[in-house]
Amino acid sequence: MVEILLEAIDIHRFFNKQHVLKGVTLDVKEGETKVIIGPSGSGKSTFLRCLNLLIKPDRGKIIFEGVDIVNDRVDINLVRQKIGFVFQQFNLFTHLTALENVMIGLIKVKKLNRQEALRIAKEALLSVGITEDLWNKYPAQLSGGQQQRVAIARAIVIRPRLLLLDESISALDPELTVEVLKVLEKLSKNRVTMIIVTHELGFAIRVADEVVFMEDGRIVERGPPEKVLLNPEKERTRIFVSKLMELYRLERNKIL
Amino acid sequence: MNIIDVVINYGSVMVNAFKLTLILSFTSFPLGFLGGIALITLNLTSPRFLKMFLRIFVEIIRGTPTTVQLFFIYYALPVLGIKLDPFTSALLALSINSSVYQSEYLRTTLNSVPRTQWEASLSLGFTRLGSWLYILMPQVLRIAIPALTNELIYITKFSSIAYFVTLPELVCVSEVIGAKTFAYTEVYIVVACLYIAVAFVISEFMEYLYKKLSIQGLTMM
Repeated sequence: MVEILLEAIDIHRFFNKQHVLKGVTLDVKEGETKVIIGPSGSGKSTFLRCLNLLIKPDRGKIIFEGVDIVNDRVDINLVRQKIGFVFQQFNLFTHLTALENVMIGLIKVKKLNRQEALRIAKEALLSVGITEDLWNKYPAQLSGGQQQRVAIARAIVIRPRLLLLDESISALDPELTVEVLKVLEKLSKNRVTMIIVTHELGFAIRVADEVVFMEDGRIVERGPPEKVLLNPEKERTRIFVSKLMELYRLERNKIL
Repeated sequence: MNIIDVVINYGSVMVNAFKLTLILSFTSFPLGFLGGIALITLNLTSPRFLKMFLRIFVEIIRGTPTTVQLFFIYYALPVLGIKLDPFTSALLALSINSSVYQSEYLRTTLNSVPRTQWEASLSLGFTRLGSWLYILMPQVLRIAIPALTNELIYITKFSSIAYFVTLPELVCVSEVIGAKTFAYTEVYIVVACLYIAVAFVISEFMEYLYKKLSIQGLTMM
């Protein structure tokens, strides 16, 4: 029996008067990869940010490791050390080099000594294919794909139990996408628990244990990738997925 | 009496007075800087009621003339039993004033750093204080250098208000020399030259610092 790692129950969120999340319920089991798809403005990013309380839900529960992190008194900083987050726009710390970006969490948050942090950070950078010649470069000197891989290294280096990725590949051009997708597939194979917002259909089919289609602050349809992406039940899902498919084919032709 | 005579006869007196000006301003600027950092750090990390007190403090200091603050410290505090000499009074008034302005400069600079830097550091498990100290502040300080340069030049000139509490800094001494020689124009031209020279050195140095600390690959204006 696989343990449920995180369970979001009936999450609601308002921005001013706008009801952005209208009761989203989702759980993720240890080692699972979940993919969330949906049009812009459907609340995917907001939902993802609710899961580590970057945005506080107005209603609902988030049970992580058996504790409700929204309502119970928990040290949210400790919880966040166990939930990695990778952003659409990378958000590397601009004043730190690639290596320092990966190290700072280890030193200042995990309180490791410098040597230990250096060793672990180098290992993590190599694992995402960032070679030594790039370690001392600043984010502004790196390509988008390199920045995103550094961001992934920064998130996985503190050994989170859950990794959240917010459209981490959509900001990249197709060639760079491939580098990042490879890293994510590797993580998924190593059974790192992940929730990924993405529109990379090929990726979703290969690695997702479940695909979730969100629209207008609700989950419209969910299920195994073959079902949701190739044979959806709901008309709305079918229209959205067929548009994605079309785009995917165009992108593929561009690469091949 | 022409300028040459003024320089020959009173040059060393004026330079000595200017030294006092510089000591006063170069001490109150760093004190104001520390105060500014303390204010913004408190503001970012304290609960709402404390923030309200900070806000009131900032508004009082920003909303009253520095001269009034100086008079208050020098003439009103002794009534309460706190007697300070002219230099300390001026130092205190200038530092408190500057700390408020510097914290406001830092605050507006912070607003220009993308909020996503907060998000990124918070999701690594940094506390708000940790995020500010290790992630945001190093970026903010770099960007704020030009604004802080202005503040330093301003405080150097503005330290002349110490004249009102009898501190013999440059403007005070020059006033005396002017009255004695009636060469006001010449005296004040020398005064202006001294201030301009220091302002120039400050801005060159800060420019150098700004370039040296700028982050590689990031375009800076």
